[in-house]
Amino acid sequence: MIVLETNNLTKKFGGLTAVNAVSMTINQGDIVGLIGPNGAGKTTFINAISGLNPPTSGTVTMFGKETSGLTPEKMCRLGLSRTFQIPSPFPKMTAIESVMTATIFGNPPGKITDPVAHSREMLEFVEFPMKETVVAEQLNTVQLKRLDLARALASNPKLLFMDELASGLSEGELKDIMRIIDKISKKGISILMIEHIMQLIMAVCNRLLCIQFGTKIAEGPTQEVANDPKVTKAYLGE
Amino acid sequence: MSKNIVADLTAWVRTAAGLSMTIAVIVAIAATIHTGPYLLVNTIVTGGMLALVATGLTLMLGVLNIPMFAHGEYFMIGSLTAYYIFTPISEFILEHPDSWLVTFGPFIAILGALIGGAIAGAISEKLVFGPLRRRSTDNWVMNSFLLTVGLSVLLVNLHQLIFGADFKGIVGYWQGMPISIAGAYISLDRALAFIISAVIVALFYLFMTYTRTGMAIRAVSQDITGAEIVGIDIEKIVLLTISLACALAAVSGGSLLFMIPSYPSVGLEPLYMAWFVVILSGLGNILGAVVGAFMVALLKVITVEYVGAGWDFVVPSALIMLILIFKPSGIFGSDVRGVLDK
Amino acid sequence: MEPTTNDLNMNLFDRVLDRLCLTPIGLAGLILLLILPFIPPFNQEYMLRWLIYCGFVAAMSVGFDLTAGYINIVNFGYMAVAGTGGYTSALLVINAGLSPWIAMLAGGVSSAILGLIIGMISLRLRGIFAACLSWFFGLAVMGLAIKMVWLTRGPLGLRTPRLFETESNFPFYFLIIILVYLTYLVCKWVVRSKMGLAFQAIAQNMEAARTSGIDPVFYRVFNFTMSCAIAGVLGGFYAHFYGILTPDMMHTSKTVEILAVAYIGGRGSLWGGAVVAFPFIFLMEIVRSTLSHLPGLNLVIYALVLILVMIYYPGGFSYFYDTHIRQPKNRALRYFLNGREAKV
Repeated sequence: MIVLETNNLTKKFGGLTAVNAVSMTINQGDIVGLIGPNGAGKTTFINAISGLNPPTSGTVTMFGKETSGLTPEKMCRLGLSRTFQIPSPFPKMTAIESVMTATIFGNPPGKITDPVAHSREMLEFVEFPMKETVVAEQLNTVQLKRLDLARALASNPKLLFMDELASGLSEGELKDIMRIIDKISKKGISILMIEHIMQLIMAVCNRLLCIQFGTKIAEGPTQEVANDPKVTKAYLGE
Repeated sequence: MSKNIVADLTAWVRTAAGLSMTIAVIVAIAATIHTGPYLLVNTIVTGGMLALVATGLTLMLGVLNIPMFAHGEYFMIGSLTAYYIFTPISEFILEHPDSWLVTFGPFIAILGALIGGAIAGAISEKLVFGPLRRRSTDNWVMNSFLLTVGLSVLLVNLHQLIFGADFKGIVGYWQGMPISIAGAYISLDRALAFIISAVIVALFYLFMTYTRTGMAIRAVSQDITGAEIVGIDIEKIVLLTISLACALAAVSGGSLLFMIPSYPSVGLEPLYMAWFVVILSGLGNILGAVVGAFMVALLKVITVEYVGAGWDFVVPSALIMLILIFKPSGIFGSDVRGVLDK
Repeated sequence: MEPTTNDLNMNLFDRVLDRLCLTPIGLAGLILLLILPFIPPFNQEYMLRWLIYCGFVAAMSVGFDLTAGYINIVNFGYMAVAGTGGYTSALLVINAGLSPWIAMLAGGVSSAILGLIIGMISLRLRGIFAACLSWFFGLAVMGLAIKMVWLTRGPLGLRTPRLFETESNFPFYFLIIILVYLTYLVCKWVVRSKMGLAFQAIAQNMEAARTSGIDPVFYRVFNFTMSCAIAGVLGGFYAHFYGILTPDMMHTSKTVEILAVAYIGGRGSLWGGAVVAFPFIFLMEIVRSTLSHLPGLNLVIYALVLILVMIYYPGGFSYFYDTHIRQPKNRALRYFLNGREAKV
């Protein structure tokens, strides 16, 4: 089953074309890695899908329904959730309140009977290392990323975008993240992840999408794309 | 070749900036033909004053990210300083009508206003903005805004407490026959007030564009960390910017003393007019602020002329609101943002 | 929103107190305010007049804080919004013969509509620009009140019938205390509900809030409308207490007064402004009337306090209270300050 499909998705900022006619699909259960050099337009691409920066042209189809140009809050209710590259939960809220915000507003009314318990469950699920009453602005980046992930999962998404979740992690933390990604996938959530750490990509992704200068240069099974000479060239230069 | 120019021109006219400027020019010409040239003169004098205040405001906002609510009070300080310098001078002139002070006395008063404003700005930075900058952790824009609100109330009431609430005005700076241009009589005071503001705005523009210090100020407005790395002394630049911005407002107050007497809350009108300009022209855009100043001045003069005095509260603010709704970044919208918003 | 609150381990008194959003010290304060007019020297009419003004500022600052503290937008035309409510109410009483009580509510409705409009058109603007827009709106409304002489009698002022047909200020005092408390209670209920979470979320991080499924349009506009409706009702009270309404009430400097009290009290607390208003405004009135040969001195002090608070203690009184006073060792005192605390 196709979860998400983009067709010639294009995003322009004035004269600059940040994403140029990218078409791709995500199937149920996929863990797709979105790779490409810095400034290739990866974050712009997922912003365009999730509605933060609506696309200039092209279409987005999610679960068979056209969703191009819908606002982020509508996309959230349709089952799309995301984390941010610079993890940014609500700075003055406690960890549990941040997650509860998404629990309460990201789910249909009445679906979650006990938001507090559900939010706690999410914090446990991402193995949040601190007390739930800690205020977000006191956390470090690694902890914030976990919190942001818990917030994103709290709305019970069917599709999850993760923007550089693993950058700056130590070897041990990388292992933890891999295990958590595995757990998310086992819940039946399809994943699109922007990532630079090849070790992680090779370990968890079943398919890869590579873009450069806003244009798709390769898409397919992980090994195939990783060995594609065009991809190697994009990373290493001529 | 000429075809290109025509095409460029039509393209420019179609942009928000071009469109509004074209409309402004047409309205100005039509109103001048209809009512008389004094309308144009009023627009230009008010516009020159507004340009000074608004550039100062733009500077504060663009470089330091301080949404200045107390800027009108530096206008007040300028007019107050000029009043207390010019009153003894005019008494002296009465006794010695041949003195060189007849010509240069007003300049001394206006220069005094400029210096007074600069000093007041420097003191405010040392006592108020500096401490806030060193202590501020987040929410800089809002906190500094509230701080300037406090500063405004403080200065207004200090004026009232020390100098009283009465109007402190003068009859005029320069005696002599009004100049006649194309059938319109312009008093010497008005003509010189406009020339002074034009010269100062031009000097200011040249200063910002060509001098090392001006470039440093612009560098700070774009990237404070980068500016620090290349060895710019931030503290000095901030101090300079604030006193410069305040001096611009003060000189405007000083040179318009013959028209607007000094009293505690004289600054409110220049303040909100300058804010109109800043919103209209977008943030941190000095040239835009100058053009916007004349457009707002025109709007005000036309409103007073055709709708009636007192409506200049209502009509311009309604128009500005419309602009904000349809073009939140302003007509000349540029993306120059302040940098202290941590 | 306090997720860990557990109603089961509370006795009835604590539960009622919690529903009323009060702590024992809050209740004590409220009772003190209610018996204050019977204690000399506060039982004199001029003192009561000052206290009523304190109450008005207190209630206004609570309504102001709902917007400023929770969605981080300074409504810089707040007194103009209140003035709109006041004028609507006064005009309905004078021209349509309505009872001032109903007219006050109508004033609230008119201000709510105004708030709805401001909220809608300021949607695309953030922070300082939304503040500017509401400021310009306030200037325009005040300009209208000055110029529409046929309706408002302009700067001459509109004579309005008072709420109670008595010379005494006593009934007005109790009414404003009730209004202060009601304003606080309604605002507190709203921010305790899931709405409060949404307000904070869109103020703290718009993008994360939206991707978490919060519709910022609804919550921002709702907040604005509610805060303005409160101002409108209070404006009606103002009109029918002083008996005369001038456009001066809508002046920016009046909004600054509310704003200063709200921020000195502490943003985002709701109660801070209300608590600070009484002693602070009262002292200012004393300074003003005893040192009347030094006009403006009270406002100089006022401004100095605002500046000092902004520089050295931007959290205001409520932050000071929360960090330094709220957690004493003594258990009885602790209960007195916080009420029954939920077990974490």
